[in-house]
Amino acid sequence: MGKRIMSIRAVLLLLLAAGGAAAVMYGIHYFSGQMNAKPKQITVVIKSMEQSMEFWQVLSDGVQVAAKEFGVKVKVVGPPTESDIEEQIAILEQEILARPGAIVMAATDVNRLVPVAEKINQAGIKLLTLDSGINSKLPLSFIATDNIEAGKKAGQAMKELLGGSGRVAIISFVQGTATQIDRELGVRSVLEENEDIDVIGTYYSDGVEQKAFDTTKRLLLEHPDLTGIVGLNETSTVGAGKAIRELGLAGEVKLVGFDSSINEVKLLEEGVMQVTVIQKPFNMGYLSVKAALQTINGEKVPPIIDTGSVVITEQNMYSDENQKLLFPFVDR
Amino acid sequence: MNSWRFKSIQSNITLAFVLLIVLTSLILSLVSYYLSKEAVQTNAQQYTTELIKQVNTNIQTYVTSMKNIANLAASNRDIRAYLSGEQTGTLVEKQEAEAKISDFFHSILISRSDIASINIFGYEGQFVTGRQNARLNPNIDVTTLPWYKNALRAEGENVISSSHVQPIFEDEYRWVVSLSRELRSSDGTHGLGILNVDLNFSVMNNMFSTINLGKRGYLFIVDENGNIVYHPQQQLIYSNLKTERIDQVLATRSGSFMTEEGADSRMYTVQDSGFGWKVVGVSYVKELVSNKNEMQLSFLALGLICVVIAVMLSVFLSGRLSKPIKQLQEHMKEVEKGNFDIQVPVSFTKEIGRLARTFNLMVAKIKELMDQVVRDQELKRKSELNALQAQINPHFLYNTLDSIVWMAESKKSEEVVLMTSALAKLFRASISRGEELVPIRTEMDHITNYLTIQKMRYKDKIDYEVRIDEAILGYKTIKIILQPIVENAIYHGLKMQQGVGKITIMSEETDTDILLFVIDNGIGMDEEKMRSLLMRDARRDNGRGVGIQNVHDRLQLYFGSEYGLTFESEPGEGTTVTIRMPKLHESAGRRDSWESES
Repeated sequence: MGKRIMSIRAVLLLLLAAGGAAAVMYGIHYFSGQMNAKPKQITVVIKSMEQSMEFWQVLSDGVQVAAKEFGVKVKVVGPPTESDIEEQIAILEQEILARPGAIVMAATDVNRLVPVAEKINQAGIKLLTLDSGINSKLPLSFIATDNIEAGKKAGQAMKELLGGSGRVAIISFVQGTATQIDRELGVRSVLEENEDIDVIGTYYSDGVEQKAFDTTKRLLLEHPDLTGIVGLNETSTVGAGKAIRELGLAGEVKLVGFDSSINEVKLLEEGVMQVTVIQKPFNMGYLSVKAALQTINGEKVPPIIDTGSVVITEQNMYSDENQKLLFPFVDR
Repeated sequence: MNSWRFKSIQSNITLAFVLLIVLTSLILSLVSYYLSKEAVQTNAQQYTTELIKQVNTNIQTYVTSMKNIANLAASNRDIRAYLSGEQTGTLVEKQEAEAKISDFFHSILISRSDIASINIFGYEGQFVTGRQNARLNPNIDVTTLPWYKNALRAEGENVISSSHVQPIFEDEYRWVVSLSRELRSSDGTHGLGILNVDLNFSVMNNMFSTINLGKRGYLFIVDENGNIVYHPQQQLIYSNLKTERIDQVLATRSGSFMTEEGADSRMYTVQDSGFGWKVVGVSYVKELVSNKNEMQLSFLALGLICVVIAVMLSVFLSGRLSKPIKQLQEHMKEVEKGNFDIQVPVSFTKEIGRLARTFNLMVAKIKELMDQVVRDQELKRKSELNALQAQINPHFLYNTLDSIVWMAESKKSEEVVLMTSALAKLFRASISRGEELVPIRTEMDHITNYLTIQKMRYKDKIDYEVRIDEAILGYKTIKIILQPIVENAIYHGLKMQQGVGKITIMSEETDTDILLFVIDNGIGMDEEKMRSLLMRDARRDNGRGVGIQNVHDRLQLYFGSEYGLTFESEPGEGTTVTIRMPKLHESAGRRDSWESES
């Protein structure tokens, strides 16, 4: 009798144990699957939330497309304008409390955001930088246009437009910003290797179109032998282009610019500007989410991810590839 | 490890049930899981196909409306007249014609918010647009634009462009889908100009972007040349960060195909629009069965519940099944202990019930047999005692002793010696070691001694003859079987007779049995008397036949009912008593078994 009960108990125990083990295994599998399917949230802090800032809007689009594709929750936040450094720091402080898996940051200032970056790192949140980096080794990756390379493309275009010789002025925007420094470096590195091309100097517009216009107009009047102008961002380029147009020098003075806008498109169509080098903010946003996700999953990411730049001319501006870059939004 | 061998029926049945049910529920769960998965997947596929068809229908509606406008314009006589220059009288007349056409286009534009613009570019520099406030972009030469060139090439057919930016108006760079067509002269011989109808691409874009194919799925559209009309990741594809299977899509007319990308496998559902575009829905195969995990979990839970029920059920059922067997076993144990007064309740189960019934019968039979054995043993003891008594019949002893005394008085010392020694041998033989079975030889010695004494006592009244085959002397018999018969023959057969009575003892041997005959030539007896000899009640009557009955009983007790005594008698002629017994060798174990039994 005793033995029989024992054996029945043994069978029951065996079955229960097997069932329990199966349930536990499945549970682990199931919840680990859930964990993989729903990783921690990613927060992208951009420089400006303003609707008119097309660059950041397109970048946000790229972020959202990546979020959908990888099935990850992404929050995009930022100060109203690019100059609101304090506001961006405050936003970052706030976002640390929400403990996302990763923060991708487009720094409004190279130095002033370093302390908050350290806080992010201390909180165990993966930190990546986007478009504009900081003076710190903490970010795991920097996803941006290689501006030296973009500058070289602009320099190369100018060199070709000049046919080997000429005098060139560079209209830059805010002195000391990383983007500006890199672009100028790229432009100069190409132009200055040619002895017949003389770069007369770099002039700063402080990101104000009117100042760029005035500066260019003055330069053109003061230096009649000036044959080329390179604008290092949108406002600088448009200001310079308007000055060339007003002085009736379209075609005589070559203009190579950066970025895109309706005004720049018009300058291209009119023949005032010959070339503009544009970035790929959509790809930047997309790749930043992808890289952030990789860091969360413990994968290694390259310290610098170049999202590339494209040389646009009047001839190729309406090609399938480029019109989406120049005119990113269908609703207008 | 012994417990794993499942020695009891209950655990065997339990195990069998559990295995059976677990296996069944496993197979059922798996099958139904895969069937449900299939069903869900098929549903999802159908849903996707329907959705794509719906999108295609919407696109076709837009395109058809553009075509209708184009047809309207193409068949408009005013337009043809204006373009062919038939009315080119004064500038005022020309402007009037332009205004008329423009109003016509404008009225269409007002009623149709999805149409961005309707324009005519005459080959002789004429230009009319429905957009009354828009100015042409001075920096753009329309003849260089792809839709213009394509219309020229198509010679009067409608050409639908891919989505593109339309730069023809100043400060306006709209995303549109263009329909362009060459307007030809009424006789169809030459072209007059190009008609262009632009559809706001935003209406399509809005429609596409709201369509969800699962969480990650998407929709895209390519034109016949593989150019992307719409794709949510267009920029990634142009940057080569992504690839799309456009070649495969172009090769597929309508229908679907799957890609093999492991966890990221996708299903492409392609729908041909009929005018060159292909609408493609891309769903992630993993998402087609979006609640796969929940399905797995619920099927597992169901399976587990089944197993638990199975275990409980099988323990219960096996308990029920094995209960009567256990009961039977308990009762058998009782019987083992010696309790035969037991009846097992007959259970409902047929087989077990039969077993119980048979067991009950068996126990009853055993009980009966046991009782019989007890009875037989009792009887045996009594018979033996009787035999012993018969042997030392006091009358016989007195008579014999009287004879001896009488012979001694007559100084017949030889006879005295003979008789006394015969008497002594007689007693020695009967008392001999208390053994029940003796060789026939001993029995013959015994009867010879007895007959010797009787012959001396009755002088010439009795004669005897013993003719026994030497071969049977070695077989065994129970002792004192001849004496009572001979005694009976003397006292009841010969004593009353005139003249010399003769007793003959003979033997016969068959294959299995030994027959001993005691034959006398006395008065004999009739049938009735013969029958009464072996009847128990009869022996009390006159003391006659007690010995004979006893011998018969003993023979049957020892050897079985087929053995014993038979009689043949004829009144006045004599009687023959036949003793039948089996052949028993001296070494036969039967004796031992009997001895060990007592």
